[in-house]
Amino acid sequence: MIYAVFIPAIAIVLAPFIRGRAAAYFSALTFLVSFLAILYAFVMKLEYAVDLFTAFEPIGRIYLLGDTISHAFGFTIALVSAMVALYSYPYMKHRFEEMELNADAEFKKYWFLYNLYAASMLWLVYAGNLILLYVFLEISLIASFLLIYYYGYGNRIWVGLLYFVWTNIAGVLALIGFLMIGFDNQTLALDSIASVSMAAWLFIFVGMIVKLPGLGPHVWLPWAHAEAPTPVSALLSPLTVGLAAYILLRIYLIDSSFIEAYRTEIFLYGVITSVVAGFAVFKQKDHKKLLAYSTVSQMGYILIAFTLGTAGIVGVIIQYISHAFGKSILFMSAGAIIAIYHGLRDLEKMSGMHEQIPTIANAALIGFMNLSGILAIGMIGEFFILKGLVDTFGLSLDAILLVVFVFIISGLYSFYTMKRIYYGRVRDYSRVKVNRLLDTPLYIIGAISILFILPPLATWFVDAVVTFLGGV
Amino acid sequence: MEAAALMDLELNPGIWLALFFAPILASFPIAFIWPRRQDSFARKLPILSVFGLFISFLITLFILFRVEEGRYVYPWLPSIGINFVFVADYLSKYMGALTGFIAFTIGVYGLEYMKEDYRLGWYWFFFNLFTASMLLVVYSDNLFMLLIGWEGLGIASWGLIGHWFRDDDELSYVGVMDRKVGPLKMFWSPSTGGWRAISTIRVGDMPMFLAVAAIFALTGTLDISQIHWGELFEKIGTAGTVILFLAFLMGPFTKSAQLPFSEWLMTAMTGPTTVSALLHSATMVAAGTYLFMRISWYIKPWEIHLPGVEIVYTLVLFLGLVSSLYGASVALASRERKVLLAASTMSSLGLMFASASASYWLGEFAVIVAFWYLITHAFAKATLFLVAGHIIHETHDRFLGGDREVFSKMKLTAIVTLFATVTLAGIPPLTAYWVKSAMDEVMEKLVHDVGILPFVLLVTISAIYSAFLAKFFALNFWKGRHVHLHLHGGGVMKTAYTAMVSMLLVLLAVIYLGIDHAGEEFIHAGMAEVSFMVGILVLVAYVVGFAKPEHENAVGRVLYDRVYVMALNDYIVPKIGWAIAWIVDIFNRLLDFIAHTFIPALFEALSMSVRVVQSGSLERYTKIVVSLVLGILFVVSVAGWF
Repeated sequence: MIYAVFIPAIAIVLAPFIRGRAAAYFSALTFLVSFLAILYAFVMKLEYAVDLFTAFEPIGRIYLLGDTISHAFGFTIALVSAMVALYSYPYMKHRFEEMELNADAEFKKYWFLYNLYAASMLWLVYAGNLILLYVFLEISLIASFLLIYYYGYGNRIWVGLLYFVWTNIAGVLALIGFLMIGFDNQTLALDSIASVSMAAWLFIFVGMIVKLPGLGPHVWLPWAHAEAPTPVSALLSPLTVGLAAYILLRIYLIDSSFIEAYRTEIFLYGVITSVVAGFAVFKQKDHKKLLAYSTVSQMGYILIAFTLGTAGIVGVIIQYISHAFGKSILFMSAGAIIAIYHGLRDLEKMSGMHEQIPTIANAALIGFMNLSGILAIGMIGEFFILKGLVDTFGLSLDAILLVVFVFIISGLYSFYTMKRIYYGRVRDYSRVKVNRLLDTPLYIIGAISILFILPPLATWFVDAVVTFLGGV
Repeated sequence: MEAAALMDLELNPGIWLALFFAPILASFPIAFIWPRRQDSFARKLPILSVFGLFISFLITLFILFRVEEGRYVYPWLPSIGINFVFVADYLSKYMGALTGFIAFTIGVYGLEYMKEDYRLGWYWFFFNLFTASMLLVVYSDNLFMLLIGWEGLGIASWGLIGHWFRDDDELSYVGVMDRKVGPLKMFWSPSTGGWRAISTIRVGDMPMFLAVAAIFALTGTLDISQIHWGELFEKIGTAGTVILFLAFLMGPFTKSAQLPFSEWLMTAMTGPTTVSALLHSATMVAAGTYLFMRISWYIKPWEIHLPGVEIVYTLVLFLGLVSSLYGASVALASRERKVLLAASTMSSLGLMFASASASYWLGEFAVIVAFWYLITHAFAKATLFLVAGHIIHETHDRFLGGDREVFSKMKLTAIVTLFATVTLAGIPPLTAYWVKSAMDEVMEKLVHDVGILPFVLLVTISAIYSAFLAKFFALNFWKGRHVHLHLHGGGVMKTAYTAMVSMLLVLLAVIYLGIDHAGEEFIHAGMAEVSFMVGILVLVAYVVGFAKPEHENAVGRVLYDRVYVMALNDYIVPKIGWAIAWIVDIFNRLLDFIAHTFIPALFEALSMSVRVVQSGSLERYTKIVVSLVLGILFVVSVAGWF
């Protein structure tokens, strides 16, 4: 069953040779099959450890690890990748026309890179060895870098390099941390690592703060996520940055000493990250940059949740999923406007867009509902984060006010943005028929995000995660 | 009627599923077809949505008459002990039927009222979602499940208030167009109305959400009727109780528009009138007070004597009364049909809070009084809104206006309005009189524990309330300026509000005939001397209000501008927010400049200085090599020397 995660490999190889729309369907299909298989494994609480080979010390045993956490991240990645693959077709076709490139030739390159990028993220969460994990991290980095480099907007070469440098800093810092773990434990296999020294933790933590990103290093993200071609943004923002949370989570489950030692500091850092980025959202004039800042704000939730004990860890996992669903919908909605109105992304030229493109507007609403935790899976995530808050800090007024403030800001910028873009005076744009591939994938993700608060999905989901973590 | 321990009972889950999903699913056809085609076929589909509301209504009646009091548990998140728990008790049975009836009746009214609208799919989907969410809130025993309904109310109200999102129709605004007072713009568009609603509500919902999570963290259960509230409050101490309880009540306070969160309710009038009618009677704003009654019912504050609980209930008492006074005064000074009614709703909600909070001193009866007032108010207010909608429809004017011509041409409407206002004002011997009398009694009894102030406030509020209801009637049907009537159709609308207002008679019968036990107590309270005096006062206020509906003065002008409370929403909070956003923006730009311009430039400069060496001129290279060799020779010779 665990081999189902390798089905997208077929798409990496074959999709470049398929012409037209079929390549999109084929790529999406492979990811969907993976998604269903992972969901099945998740619900059945199947756990795997498949040995590949044993390398020399300090790398140790290389194996594939499939447990509840891998599955939870895995099905999110598979689902979003599948939907974005469908969406890619009309979008990239428009992009190639805009760049005056030969669509057939470019699509070959595109499908190879896209599938490689998405699949490497999927495989990352099944890597049982930190080196293997690092390898997948680098593959996803290179593939996404190339996608930005070839098809990005604005000064794409500069942005691509910027992205590459920052993420490499993150990767290398993490690698140093991994190696320190390796030399301490004579192995990098996740199930054999006994302890993580504070120094190693520090390297990994700082590296992942750059990638996540926390306040300070976050400056790279608005550039990269805004200037990437939108399908890539729709993977970068929802999936890639959150993988930092996955890596931290894996280390946390081995040894949580670092987070516990600096609980208050990390908590405050998360709050400040989220608040600063949340306020920055209001000031953005570029649609995709706005969404990028909101990503930073949402990643602040994850930092906060890390410090809140077991309930907080459940919160981390759900927050990753809910943000992935919400933000992929939102980036795709932004991209749809770009594709339909030939590069329209300046918020000052938008208002009342619900008039022309109601289906996109409604999808964006679902996306924002995910971010603010209204009637979607994010609600359960917020619940666990808040429970963890009370577990950890008790009814302390200052901690409560901070987290509540953070949550309020997300709701406010979400609906403020809805009003800015889709409500108000109707502008003079023509009504067009929206390509079905530009809106249907958004609704599929949206529907799943809402189904996740109801049985049976909610029941299975919470049960699996809580059982795995040994109760909250 | 006693809030005894509830039994866990069995009921086919299909009934609950149908109750919530029938309206939602029934609105799908119009929601999905409308964006694609807006022809006569699509315009027939709303009938389906109303049919969905009808199914819900039937089920609520079934629950009222045929379902035993108890809890009905179905698994949801069993691994953490959170389940779908529906409760059928005194409160939820009545409240459910009330919601079902009002939503269905307004749905029928909406078939005609919204006939020509440009956004029917949106309207019916959110209207039905609104109803389903409210029903979920009503029947929830589990707080997390309740929150789902609660958030559903929030999002649906946002959708409905901002329904006319184009902001292009003067009739959908609130306030006088282009009027400004200082920096405040005194007119609000539908999209602003929606934004103000959701932004205010978020501010309350998040603390409430935290309180729910905290209750779960502290007690391990979320079922309102199962939590040992007394033990919980004892465990967390006075400060903990106040923090937790107030955080929880932030939800009801914002939803029910208590001070200072009242402004969203006024600008919620930008939505279609049907929405206002539903929002102000049985859903949304009622949800806040209903929730307070529901938890008070099971907390049984009268059995808990802890300072923390007393602080909270005292606070709610006075907040409610002050909000009520504010709402009544604003309504008295209002010149817009719907805004007047909105302010009056706020006033009523305050009274409900106040009365329910008196339960801390007086026991369960205070909650029952508040609940009955909610029911009476719901029917009357829904009627008044539906009437207002009809008049606005016929006059294309949202400001108060209408002379005797309106009365003679819309006789039924006028009589319905007269009856609804007289009944709601509390003039003996009509429905609200008995309930209000019980409320007088409750406040009077508080003299021993709290002082005379609550009673004085209540009597003042009652008088003002009656006066502005008279004003509403007088200025719309008798003494207002002349308006042009565009009479056409309206049959369905008339039927709907006549049905609505007749429910007040049904309630009267329930009280007179003692069908509900509370009725006897109400009659008893109504026979008391004090209550009768208040009743007479209210009658006098009504007559005065009718005789002189308009009186220009300075106080009135300030009240007309709602005492400038909107400065909080429109000026103070945004100013602070934008200032922070501005600082944050500068910080981000600075960081971006340092990371992506300054440091790379620094490296550039460094590399330039290194690259100077690499000029390609042979002469230079020779010089470098020679000087290096000389240098080495020098070092070696110096080293050899020693």
